Amino acid sequence: MNDFPRVWVVFLLLLGLPAAGLSQDKKPPLKWGTDPTGGAPFIYKNKSGDYVGFEKEFADYLAEKLGRESEMVAGDWANLPQQLTKPADVSGGVDIVLNGYELRKDLAAKYGVTRAYYVYRLSLIVRKDDDSIRGWDDLDGKTVGVLGGTTAHRYTKKKYGQSIDLKSNPDVANVVKLVNDDRMDATVQDSPVAVHFLKEYEGLREAGEPAQPGELPGYYVIYYRKSDTELGAKLDKAIVEGLKDGTLKAIYERYGLWNADQEKLATETDGPWPPANLPDEASQWPELFEELLLAAGMTILLAVTSFPIAMAIGLLVALGRVYGPWIVRVPLGIYVEVLRGTPLLLQLFLIYYMVPELFLKADMAGWVKWLTPFVAGVMGLAVNYSAYEAENYRAGLQAVPKGQMEAALALGMTRFTALRRVIVPQALRIVIPPVTNDFIALFKDTSACSILFVTELTRKYNELFNFNRDLIVELAFLTAGLYLLMSYPLAILAARLERKLGGPKEGGKP
Amino acid sequence: MIRVTKLTKSYGSQKILDDVSLEVTVGEVTALVGPSGGGKSTLLRCINGLETFQSGEIAVGDLKLAGGKPHVEWTLVQLRRRVGMVFQQFNLFPHLTALENVLSGPLFALKESRAAAEPRAKQLLERVGLGHKFDARPANLSGGQQQRVAIARALAVNPAAILFDEPTSALDPQMADEVLGVMRDLARDGQTMIVVSHDMDFVKQATTVHRMVAGRIAKSGPPSEVL
Repeated sequence: MNDFPRVWVVFLLLLGLPAAGLSQDKKPPLKWGTDPTGGAPFIYKNKSGDYVGFEKEFADYLAEKLGRESEMVAGDWANLPQQLTKPADVSGGVDIVLNGYELRKDLAAKYGVTRAYYVYRLSLIVRKDDDSIRGWDDLDGKTVGVLGGTTAHRYTKKKYGQSIDLKSNPDVANVVKLVNDDRMDATVQDSPVAVHFLKEYEGLREAGEPAQPGELPGYYVIYYRKSDTELGAKLDKAIVEGLKDGTLKAIYERYGLWNADQEKLATETDGPWPPANLPDEASQWPELFEELLLAAGMTILLAVTSFPIAMAIGLLVALGRVYGPWIVRVPLGIYVEVLRGTPLLLQLFLIYYMVPELFLKADMAGWVKWLTPFVAGVMGLAVNYSAYEAENYRAGLQAVPKGQMEAALALGMTRFTALRRVIVPQALRIVIPPVTNDFIALFKDTSACSILFVTELTRKYNELFNFNRDLIVELAFLTAGLYLLMSYPLAILAARLERKLGGPKEGGKP
Repeated sequence: MIRVTKLTKSYGSQKILDDVSLEVTVGEVTALVGPSGGGKSTLLRCINGLETFQSGEIAVGDLKLAGGKPHVEWTLVQLRRRVGMVFQQFNLFPHLTALENVLSGPLFALKESRAAAEPRAKQLLERVGLGHKFDARPANLSGGQQQRVAIARALAVNPAAILFDEPTSALDPQMADEVLGVMRDLARDGQTMIVVSHDMDFVKQATTVHRMVAGRIAKSGPPSEVL
């Protein structure tokens, strides 16, 4: 009974709190969009689980200057500018995009853009024990990894694309680790990334001088809604003040990022902005189309290489499950359930990144080079789909009437011959529809291989649209159309196959 | 040439075959008759090694199947090449043509070359009256035609004896007559056969008849004595 009044106090407090907040006429928080998975040193979680990073501290500084709370909104890096198209006060809405975005003509045309808060360059990272790359001119014939769809990707492709094996991947940390593990020769990264990872990996070094990414220095800027001119002016003011009074220097120095470029940036704060001669980086349609077609070719190659393997493994697994003794059935049952029950992405990741570790432990370092992204992708797809095909074939085998096996045995066939000549051919015909269905599904699942530096259609779309934001809708429809163009003929072929092979013909009995 | 000695088979406590013994000599037509569930089909399936049994022995020439243990795969394969089987539901291979069905034994089981086996396979199909149906699939054949292909298929591996498991039960009378005609021709040519049948006209022409009731042979002898 004593507790009763206390409950009422809490209740009244809860009712009263929002009203109290309103009465103070508080400003809404500054919602800044970023991709925290993009990683260090921009924004990342430290060992105790808190977000840190030079952009995090920079955003907090801006919010303080504006007299607002700092609120981080996480999103997918490439799609962050899209988040400006919805209002800031809805879930996922943002006021500004602040995540290593370069000053670009296409983006500056669509969104408001602040002055630069950082000047980056492109750094070439190689292994310390690799003497063959002393600078940018030594890249001939080397395997070079980049973050897909970035300025680093574009720069490296334009300048060295003809003479190097260029691999793109959506994750920075993976690329750097692969160079460290001697599975790639070099990677080109924005200078802040290079600074961070050179601290993390003792076996890596920078080769040559960091390069300016184009005719203009590489400017990191903040994008906001075109209509938010007042916000833009306040942000510009905060950036200039921060550069001049040393606040930004203090932040950047904590991450080892203050250098001559930033000194210069701090002295050039009154020139016209943005510069008039922004380069146009958008691609032309023929080029876009060619790139997408090439990527579609990779999609087809992945699918037609991996699916036959999946069918072969699947058939063996199904035979083992239907006709094998329990000592075979049980492990195969586990095989199927584990592969069906875990994500394809994870399996690809395990094959490409973990199997090499096993090779190293088993003293089989020579095998690591053999596990190329394409090989790993085909293996992953084949193994994953083998589980589904095994279930299809199991159903097919069980659908063949028992009398078929007995008739074959009664003719003096061994069990193996009976399976090969009588049971399996019938089972294969029965399961044509579900197997075709899986083949079409696999076509689309090839996109998972993008985490392995295999540039197939979906990956290519993601990379292209970053620099062609005016064509986002067209690119998306074109990509979808290409998938359809690949899978629809398959569906027709399968229907024809089914008519020809599957089951008894109609109206046959005389 | 086929000797069954004290064969006993049961599912759980239910005895399907109870101390069954019989002997079939070369050139003989043996008929198994009796009510459904009497164990006739099971006996045939045991002789062909499609079923195991608890005790007793089956001997086909020098090949022996013993009760109480799993059969040896290679013994089974050899035994089945000596003893063919024709099933109630024909069990033709639906993905193969009539000719390919007949060839399946010689090609897949005996590993003969197609060139060597094909003339004889065609001859067998002609013998059962299907010389015009080489390329027909089972689905495009009538029941009677399918069963005649099945007989040709069984003959194609040159078995010493053929087991017929109710070969006409799934057929209407006219088609049954086609099949019985073929079987009579075989009997006349001295083919050793064991036939489970309800067709009394055919059974009357058998050499020996065994009446099976509740898993036991109730009566054996020439048709005139048993029927």
